[in-house]
Amino acid sequence: MKLMYEMPEADRAAYDAAAAPDEILMYCVPFNVLDEKFVKGWTAVTDRSIFCILDGKVISSYDLTRCTVFSTEVLYGNCAFYGVVDGTTTLICQFLSGRNLPRYSVLVQACEDLAKKRREAREPGKPVENKENEHFCPKCGRPFIPGTTICPFCRNSAEVYKKLWGLTRGLRFMLFFPLIVSVVSLAIQFILPAIQRVAVNDYLTNESIRPIGSVFEDKHTRAFLLIFLAIISIDLVQRILGVIQSRLSAIAGNKFTLMMRTLLYEKISTLSISSISHKSTGDLMGRITGDVNAVQAFMTGQLPSLFTQAASFILALVFLLIINPIMSMFVFIPIPFVVWLVRKFWSTMQNRNRKNWVLGYHVRLFLQDVLNGIRVVKSYGNEEREIATFNRRTDRHAASTESNALLFDTFFPLLGFVTRIGSYLILFYGNYLLFKGTMNYGDLHQFNSYANIIYGPLLWITGIPRQISAFLTSLGKVLEILEEQPEVADINLPIDIDIEGDVTFDHVTFGYDSYNPVLEDINLTVKKGEMIGVVGHSGSGKTTLINLLMRLYDVTDGAIMIDDVNIKDISQNALRSQIGVVLQETHLFSGSIRDNIKYAKPHATDEEVIAAAKLANAHDFIVNLPDGYNTMIGEKGYSLSGGERQRVAIARALIHNPKILILDEATAALDTETEKLIQDAINKLAKDRTAFCIAHRLSTLRNADRLIVLDKGHLVEYGTHQELLDKKGFYWRLVMAQRQDSGMLDKADKLLKAKQAQATA
Amino acid sequence: MSKKNTPKDEKKTAGREESAAKEAKKNEAAETKKEEAAEAKTAEAEEDGDGEINTDDLFKHRVSIDMTPDNSWFSASEGGLISLKIINAEGEEEFFERVVIRRSFPVTAPDEFLSVREPDTRAKGRGAEIGMIRNINIFDKATVDLINAELDIRYFTPVIHRITSAKEKFGYNYWEADTSAGKVSIVLNNPFSNIRVLEDGRIYIFDMDGNCFLIPDPTKLDRLTYRTIEIYL
Repeated sequence: MKLMYEMPEADRAAYDAAAAPDEILMYCVPFNVLDEKFVKGWTAVTDRSIFCILDGKVISSYDLTRCTVFSTEVLYGNCAFYGVVDGTTTLICQFLSGRNLPRYSVLVQACEDLAKKRREAREPGKPVENKENEHFCPKCGRPFIPGTTICPFCRNSAEVYKKLWGLTRGLRFMLFFPLIVSVVSLAIQFILPAIQRVAVNDYLTNESIRPIGSVFEDKHTRAFLLIFLAIISIDLVQRILGVIQSRLSAIAGNKFTLMMRTLLYEKISTLSISSISHKSTGDLMGRITGDVNAVQAFMTGQLPSLFTQAASFILALVFLLIINPIMSMFVFIPIPFVVWLVRKFWSTMQNRNRKNWVLGYHVRLFLQDVLNGIRVVKSYGNEEREIATFNRRTDRHAASTESNALLFDTFFPLLGFVTRIGSYLILFYGNYLLFKGTMNYGDLHQFNSYANIIYGPLLWITGIPRQISAFLTSLGKVLEILEEQPEVADINLPIDIDIEGDVTFDHVTFGYDSYNPVLEDINLTVKKGEMIGVVGHSGSGKTTLINLLMRLYDVTDGAIMIDDVNIKDISQNALRSQIGVVLQETHLFSGSIRDNIKYAKPHATDEEVIAAAKLANAHDFIVNLPDGYNTMIGEKGYSLSGGERQRVAIARALIHNPKILILDEATAALDTETEKLIQDAINKLAKDRTAFCIAHRLSTLRNADRLIVLDKGHLVEYGTHQELLDKKGFYWRLVMAQRQDSGMLDKADKLLKAKQAQATA
Repeated sequence: MSKKNTPKDEKKTAGREESAAKEAKKNEAAETKKEEAAEAKTAEAEEDGDGEINTDDLFKHRVSIDMTPDNSWFSASEGGLISLKIINAEGEEEFFERVVIRRSFPVTAPDEFLSVREPDTRAKGRGAEIGMIRNINIFDKATVDLINAELDIRYFTPVIHRITSAKEKFGYNYWEADTSAGKVSIVLNNPFSNIRVLEDGRIYIFDMDGNCFLIPDPTKLDRLTYRTIEIYL
């Protein structure tokens, strides 16, 4: 993300005039709104002050030593940047949320930091860098396609085509041979009218030819038969070529799609969580299926058509000019008008159809809404009103459908007539020439055939730019993923170690964005076999700590060591295969319970499956299902309750006998009794392995060897349950607050009783 | 024993045998009261002795007041924002260096039910409501102007006068428009969900930058502008 913009000259001059000569410009970001107008101003932050610059003037400036707290606020249609100057909150500038909110979030932290350093007369240090992606094209300022870094206006098409060329390696022959075949087939098609001309001129209209004697002896008849055979064989060859072309295209297209999909899926799987979590599942699925299809359709469908259409246009043009240059003018005169009219008609129809679609969508939306809530409608007695609304919507949809149909049915035939204007003109002029005797029937016939050909490509080509741009967008989205570098990557020659279970957090700092650290300076040593409870409010960084241990993300600063080896040096495969994880949100794959438990260890024996299930206290409920371990779970199978799913997930985590076990709110969804069963299981298990256990319900953690308490990303306390209680610090307060919840009920009970007593008295 | 008896007692009181059981109940009630008081005292003592934090504070809320010119005085702060002095629900005078004013119904009733709040802060989280203004016009003009100036900044909704160019490309709509806030380029994705038409005909348009634009009366637009937005209505 860009935090240092170049100001235009006038603004820069204003800044230079206002700033002291040794002042260091640290950040310069735009602001967009002032006094209810859109403006192009700049907020410049130096090591000692903040300047707001607009149209070559410094409109306000603030000395950082006088500022303390900075903040941003999302308003309606824009955002505000505030600073507390001399103890008074001051509006520094307004900016657009979509463009600049992340920038100003960085600035808030940075300014506070700079102000503090300035007051303490320390060095300002280096400007904060931010690796987050921009959402707007740096060249033209227009937004990127959401979720990508592609600007549809500024992309370099040549480069994209070059990359596509690279992707077609191995398939080139298959992809491009059909192109050649179709062009050959087209060329043959153009011979046909020429032969037909010969047939017409030399035989059909040649009155001097009269069959004499036997049909087979007559040379004219033989020649005529030859022509007849030529016409048939041309047709035949063309069809055979067509078959070859279609078959090759189908194979090539399929192979291309397969290859792209495999490449994409492989890539997505190897990308780190941090890059994937930026994109939604729907978006990724869209790229693997929709965009790949669009690219393939273009490569095997539209591209060959483009070739053949262009070739047939050029060939037809050449032939027309050869036969009769003057008459070809008649073909071209109506073309601009026809093309204009056709485009106009289709764009009108498209708009109307779209509007019709929207009206239909409203009807469907209404139905979905009301039918889902039919109980509510009935219980409030609002049937009449809903019927009226529905009628209004369907009426509008029906009216629009009707008017569209009428327009289409009236104008489409007329359109057909208009496109043939050229032919009428040819017919007219051609007949004139015939009567004059300067042209013969055959030539006219041939000319007319070519003239009919030329309109097809013309109308087709007008739609091409749209198709190409859609194709380029899809291709861009596919390429973007293929070219992404995984942020968490194995080093060269990573080590495969057998983990014992000692874990050390050494000055670990981490933030999903660099300006917003989620964890700061965490130091912790865990001995093998210890069970560690992780406690803290939501958002305090508990789950992040676990994510770092699994190396779903890389630490920003510091290091995490397992058995004194930095986890960055361990291969990700070796690391994760020795860590067992149970999350709050359990995801079980569709398939049988057995498959799901075996997921972490595909070659596990059934004995191991049962052992793991028994440890997780899942065995009893599983064998009581009609299909036992073969019960299918998922949409059409047996649906497990929350507690059951959780126990299957725990069995899955246990089956590969992990040395480090992570339970992230794993027992939150269970009732107290089941939780106790699982607690017992975990206690048994935790004996010879290191366990990290996150829980909101503090009672869950009573068996933990040690507890660590996180608050706003800092490790505030650690020790045993008793030690922390004696300390009367953060943990004590958490315990008290949870007791309060149950205590509140008792209190309310007592109050109620007192009131009743009063009433009786 | 009181636990079991009390609900029954209530029923009886509601019933007809009031006078008969009166005497007995009085005694019981007195007993219960005494017990309660004793229990409460010990509980308090425990809490006081136990720690410096009274967990009851967690459940205490500021009482939002009905703001009138008699209990609230708005003024411009030095930082160009709004300061406020009120007489709070307990009858005490309170001063706020900065308050935030939000509309409850920004679309249907912009002048009514204004919520005056403490600003949200990173340290304390969401600010509490200090009070509500039923209708802004009960205040004097200076105050109304002051509040409206603040609201205009907060609810920045330029009015579109004219769309000078409209292109649809790659599934996005690129418009150039003249608005009350100057010339702008508007980029819309998914216009069907980002152009909202209210029942009274007003049109709200939300673009990818986070802007919000208003067309107060689409029938007064010129032909090109109307045709540009017409298909999405």
